[in-house]
Amino acid sequence: MSNKKLLLKTTNSFLIYAVIILLTAAPIFYYTCQWLYIYETDEVLLFHKGAFVNENHRNYNAIDIAAWNKYNENVTIVPDMGVTRDSIVGEMLFEALSDQKEPFRILYAPVEINGKKYTYIEKRNLVEMEGMVFSVAFMFLFIIIILLIGIIWISKKSAAKIWKPFYNTLSQIEDFEIDKNNPPQFTATDTDEFDRLNKSLERLIEKNTLIYKSQREFVENAAHELQTPLALFQTKIDTLQQLDLTQEQSALVGALNKDVSRLNRLNKNLLLLSKIDNEIYLEHDTIILNEYIDKNIDFFIEQAQAKNVKINRYFKNILRTKGNSALTEVLINNLFLNAIRHNVKDGVIDIRIENNSLKFINTGPEIPLQAQNIFNRFSKVNPSSQGNGLGLAIIKKICEINQWDIRYSFKDSLHTFEVIF
Amino acid sequence: MKILIIEDEREISQSIKNYFKTNGIQCETAENYNLALTKINSYDYDCILLDLMLPDGDGFDILKELKAKNKTEGVIIISAKENLETRLEGFKLGADDYLTKPFHLAELLVRMQALIRRKNFKGSNNVIFNEIVVEIFSKTVSVNDIKLDLTKKELDLLLFLIGNENKVLSKSAIAEHLSGDMADMLDNHDFIYAHIKNLKKKLTQAGSGDYIKTVYGLGYKWENEQ
Repeated sequence: MSNKKLLLKTTNSFLIYAVIILLTAAPIFYYTCQWLYIYETDEVLLFHKGAFVNENHRNYNAIDIAAWNKYNENVTIVPDMGVTRDSIVGEMLFEALSDQKEPFRILYAPVEINGKKYTYIEKRNLVEMEGMVFSVAFMFLFIIIILLIGIIWISKKSAAKIWKPFYNTLSQIEDFEIDKNNPPQFTATDTDEFDRLNKSLERLIEKNTLIYKSQREFVENAAHELQTPLALFQTKIDTLQQLDLTQEQSALVGALNKDVSRLNRLNKNLLLLSKIDNEIYLEHDTIILNEYIDKNIDFFIEQAQAKNVKINRYFKNILRTKGNSALTEVLINNLFLNAIRHNVKDGVIDIRIENNSLKFINTGPEIPLQAQNIFNRFSKVNPSSQGNGLGLAIIKKICEINQWDIRYSFKDSLHTFEVIF
Repeated sequence: MKILIIEDEREISQSIKNYFKTNGIQCETAENYNLALTKINSYDYDCILLDLMLPDGDGFDILKELKAKNKTEGVIIISAKENLETRLEGFKLGADDYLTKPFHLAELLVRMQALIRRKNFKGSNNVIFNEIVVEIFSKTVSVNDIKLDLTKKELDLLLFLIGNENKVLSKSAIAEHLSGDMADMLDNHDFIYAHIKNLKKKLTQAGSGDYIKTVYGLGYKWENEQ
């Protein structure tokens, strides 16, 4: 189901209501007007008859009646037609003036003139009514339409005004990111519900930011605090290995050495992540990626030698980017070492620069990585690997803060990490 | 040679002291700011190792004090603080080197030797071990006056080994020394094997003694032949 805007929803129901009202009101109104007009006409007919009776017409003789009939077109007195009480009928009669049949209301009423019974017939043309009913109906409808349009317009305007703080709040929350230092600034509102909404959002955000901050600080502090014991550990191992050790002891100390440097690396990576979080790396320079890769290629070739991995470079163009140079270097180093670490013996690493994209394509395990969580901290693909599960998280984080795009794909047994600058 | 270690972690300063002792370096220690101030005002040292976080003061103030007194001691900051600002501030105040904790004692030793060499530089700046002569300035190595063609890494490795004479060097210490800034990311230290092998070959081919010994399970050792 497609989502509709709130304001559209309210005006939509208004519009539907208006159309229904118009469609039903028009015929009802037309017939009501017509009925009223006929009712009024009938009243007039009866009134005329009453007046006729009251105004001593009863003294008319036959000649008077003939004269009356001669000069009155609409009222005729005819000999008794057997009408016993007033009755009004609608009839289509021929109208000489317009040369066509027109609707009439005709009153037949029994009257007594000079003690003799007659029938009073009065007819009234309803042609005027048609026009009048139409114009009244039209005017009325016109007013209704104006009224509806006005109501819709005003309600739309006022709804927009009423909902403005809501939309304001909405866009503020949409822009909010907990790891950036930009708490939303809600504008004050006099609507109680929105005020409550803003206040609870503020509380929620404040609390979460606090938790987030303390967690971030915890990671940083923990990593910092670990440095001293690690230093003690390291120097003691350095001292220990100077002693006269048996082969067995040497092997143990060697293993310890590996462990401590692994621990050290993990700690440094955690520190790096929390430093990125804390926006330590804010300076931006222009970095030429080709140059950096070329400059350090020897180091990586050296690292790749143990697995006899071949490194190829395909630079289609010079790729310049703006970013923190230290972090960009960390990004490339991590991509590089990642491609070496997860490679196979006699494997290949292709580094491609094309337009604004940098790709590391490498051979490796024959199965694709789980793209959705490889960038999470401590999501190790291969539990036996020496990696500490932070390399890709660091890559992701660096891309995030620079608004670069990082993608992973697997095709033809090749793993590709692509950064789009 | 006499150095001062200003470090509140007594165990660290003791380890440094023990490690350096066999290389003929005399170490004095100061666990706090006040003691450190008294010592630098009373004696001259060849080098000072300075921790920035002291219980009763800031290591930077010691740098300021040295500067104010026109003291010429070389200073290596050893600190758990690892950020560019602290580093730059340290250099600005006159520190010569900066080593982040944790570090290998071997690394600290060669850094200190390099610093002292730079400080005492009087025309010649050579490292000599029996028939091997390393000219630091021109970056050349010769064995019995025959020049050797060493890569930058091999030269680095040679200086690291000679500097830590008679010390067992772990693979990680060597790897971290050779890879510099990249060290924090390396999870495999096997690449040093190739460098050791090449260096050994080049030295012995030039007629030098075979000083590089492999220590089983641990690493390598530069040892004068008996």
